[in-house]
Amino acid sequence: MRLAHFLLTGVAAVGLAAAQAPASADPIGKGLVMYMQMGGEPGDGATLARQTGAKQASEALGVDLKPQFSKWAPETMIAQFKEALAAKPNCIAIMGHPGSTAFHDLVKQAVDEGIVVTSGNAPLTDLQKEFGPKGFGYAGVDLYAGGALTANAMLAQGLKAGDQAVVWGIFSQAERGVSEKGLADTLEKAGLKVDRLEIPPDVNSDASLGVPQFVAYIQSHPNLKAIGLQHGGVTSVMPEALKKAGKKPGDIILGGIDLAPATIDGLKSGYISATLDQLLYMQGFFPVTQCVMSAKYKMPGLSLNTGAGVVTPKTIDALTKLIDAGIR
Amino acid sequence: MAQRSGASILQRFEALPIIIVFALLLILFMYRAPEVFLAPYIYTTFLSTLPPLILLATGLTFVIGAGEIDLSFPSIIAFSGFVFAILFKDYDLGWIAVIAGLASGILVGFLNGVIIAKVGIPSFMTTLGTQFFWGGMATVLSGGKSYALRGAEQSSVWQWIVGRPFATSATDIAWLQQLSIQGLWTAVIVGVLWLILNRHRFGEHTLFIGDSNDVSRVVGIDVDREKIKIFTLMGFLAACAAIILTLENKNFFGNQGQGYLLTAIASVLIGGTSIFGGRATILGTVFGCFIIGMIEAGLVAAGLTGAWVRTVQGLIFLIAIIFYMYADEPQRRRALFANLKSFGRLGGIRTSEEGGARR
Amino acid sequence: MNQAASVQVVESGFQNIVRLEGVQKFFGPVQALQDIDLAIGKNEIVGLIGDNGAGKSTLIKIMTGVLPPSSGRIFVRDRELSLADYSVRMAHELSIETVYQDKSLAEKQPLWRNFFVGRQITNRFGFIDIKRQKEIAQKILIDVIGFRGVGITVDSTVANLSGGERQGIAIGRAMHYNADLIVLDEPTAALGVAEVRKVVEFVRRIKQSGRACIYIEHNLAHVHEVADRLVVLDRGRVVSEISPKDMTVPELTEYLIALQHQA
Repeated sequence: MRLAHFLLTGVAAVGLAAAQAPASADPIGKGLVMYMQMGGEPGDGATLARQTGAKQASEALGVDLKPQFSKWAPETMIAQFKEALAAKPNCIAIMGHPGSTAFHDLVKQAVDEGIVVTSGNAPLTDLQKEFGPKGFGYAGVDLYAGGALTANAMLAQGLKAGDQAVVWGIFSQAERGVSEKGLADTLEKAGLKVDRLEIPPDVNSDASLGVPQFVAYIQSHPNLKAIGLQHGGVTSVMPEALKKAGKKPGDIILGGIDLAPATIDGLKSGYISATLDQLLYMQGFFPVTQCVMSAKYKMPGLSLNTGAGVVTPKTIDALTKLIDAGIR
Repeated sequence: MAQRSGASILQRFEALPIIIVFALLLILFMYRAPEVFLAPYIYTTFLSTLPPLILLATGLTFVIGAGEIDLSFPSIIAFSGFVFAILFKDYDLGWIAVIAGLASGILVGFLNGVIIAKVGIPSFMTTLGTQFFWGGMATVLSGGKSYALRGAEQSSVWQWIVGRPFATSATDIAWLQQLSIQGLWTAVIVGVLWLILNRHRFGEHTLFIGDSNDVSRVVGIDVDREKIKIFTLMGFLAACAAIILTLENKNFFGNQGQGYLLTAIASVLIGGTSIFGGRATILGTVFGCFIIGMIEAGLVAAGLTGAWVRTVQGLIFLIAIIFYMYADEPQRRRALFANLKSFGRLGGIRTSEEGGARR
Repeated sequence: MNQAASVQVVESGFQNIVRLEGVQKFFGPVQALQDIDLAIGKNEIVGLIGDNGAGKSTLIKIMTGVLPPSSGRIFVRDRELSLADYSVRMAHELSIETVYQDKSLAEKQPLWRNFFVGRQITNRFGFIDIKRQKEIAQKILIDVIGFRGVGITVDSTVANLSGGERQGIAIGRAMHYNADLIVLDEPTAALGVAEVRKVVEFVRRIKQSGRACIYIEHNLAHVHEVADRLVVLDRGRVVSEISPKDMTVPELTEYLIALQHQA
């Protein structure tokens, strides 16, 4: 059903483009230059589908797309925004990670110069309020709701009040940490005992470094019933950690995020019970559309919640082909 | 005999090859992306984004020139940045926060120097260790949190360190309003350090230590003390970079600085400072930074995807290193020419000047 | 060897330029030097000979302030030094200069820097007066060392010099600083015959100018030729002092070999 939902959105966007195109054969975004921050590194699990979406949208709409890669480092995102600003493009799409304060003055400067700025992946609520009328949109998960959705999918698999759970997350980054908060809050409301643990910075950028500490925690808590995650990299290494800790699939209900290759294997083997699919393709496709809509047709910034559903071991097989194509 | 008499071209015109490479790249980018590189904005942007890299690389020029290495400066950026940010934001200490931030960097650098010079652990290992330690301390103390310095631009600290002096002036020239003052501070610091490296006793000692610790001791240089000074200087410059970066971003990020490790080292080596020590050029380093910093913006603007950036950086790095190796070491250069000659002979070309290839 | 003619007499009023008394040196548990008593006269060329590992290098390092002795006393111009204060810099101030085999000159640095490093001509902020240093270096190059028309300038780097030229530069530097004692650590190692002649000539100049010299040498013929006195070191001890007049080079060789065979 979500597949249909997604396809409809995508087709609708392209359809919209086709319908409103002027009589000439030129696509409606022709002549627009857009700088776009893609996230980590080219082709990595949490970046690839966004690249594909942005590329296909830019081809469909005729936008000249210039992708930038920051390895998720906030200070690099800011520096890249400045470089983009210097090139005076029509649109810039940014990542929300550095936060509203860090971006505010730069976005203001860009908007004052008539550049459309829009955002993705992590929301910049203050900026959306201020610059929404000028086209500042958001394509990404409504973080709190996404976390709650993941938690509910976990609860649906048989967790009950009194069970012990752990949530590893980036609680320290105020806006980004909201997803983990939503997840942990929802589990607690259902009566679970939840440990909230911070993911250290080195594990944040390379999740496999965290495996030993995850194993140690799992082994030292034999009554652990559930693990909640909202970090794509950590989700992908957690099945390995469970295996190393001597757990069998299903011993611990594991709810995570994203569809990295190892995460898919985890779903197939049953170690992962549910994973939030944040539709990275749409996080790439939508900002390009937003750019054209705002730059050409002066539309305000739209907010697209891409955190609409979870993938479970039952639904994964139907998606494998699309995932391999870098779309899901 | 010709090479014997006096300085080679490399010595006579400091950093000449790297300036030529820089100019060629700039021309290439101007040609491929004129709308970006023929407008002033990309250059005003570089003035605000490059100073931290340039300060770090300048300090590293001393360290590498002395035949040592420092891997801990990314952690100093995190640690000093944290010290500065928390005092500035939570305690509202203004200039005292700046001084404390600088002092913390100086302290870390000084400790590096003491461990290296007095305990005698090689700098690679020492700074590998301190890089983990201080990076860890920054995370522990900050709880991994970011600090948003909301409203920082109202403070005199911000105005003086990373301000835009012409922002409010009644000029119509938009790029002038965006000129950032840290470009000026960086130029001043780098200029003074150029004088020190080339004209001051301390700079001469640095180069002699890089040439040979034994020779330096024999001619009466207090090698241990000078090494401590070198690492302390590095700590100070990393702290300067940390404060500029934090103020410019109006944000302290828990893992800030990690991206600078390899880019700063590469900038120094591209510039022509020898990894073996004994030869160092600050002018070369500065142009090395320009190249490293310009490649990404240039490639993206020229239509290549960001995925190419590291490939091109790596290529320029390798070419530079190989070039310096041959330009620098007479034996290798002669061997190369000898090879070319014999190669020429094989191809039936006779060269008249033989001999002289060996001495 | 008649030196009377060209001696510009160095400050008199002392008997020995350097004297060691009961010097011991340990590296951890290893005793490198044992009960060294040695005096160097003020215009004396002393040859220091002995097998590898006999302690020659350690001995001169102690004499020139590079290493502190474990115990013992050091006198310079008959006055005792405080061991804690003795350093290379102090040795320089006391007009003691050392020319090490490979370690006197920094390879990648120009000659003018090599002449002055450690005692640069600076203003009070420590900035070097490059112009004056180069002028003086040029003078040393021509007047003291006698390099003329061989394509070497003050900007040449040491790496471009031959072995003999390097020794010449280092000895010339020592003479320029009016050293009363010049210590030469195997200056002819790895040199060709013509280059060796030059070095021996430099040593003669040291004697003629009224200075003292300690000359460490593997090649007995070279040291026998110029030394006033030979000091033989074996396993950290001074085992004998020989006047070159009393022994020919073959006899000396015999003697040293015999020394090695004593268990």
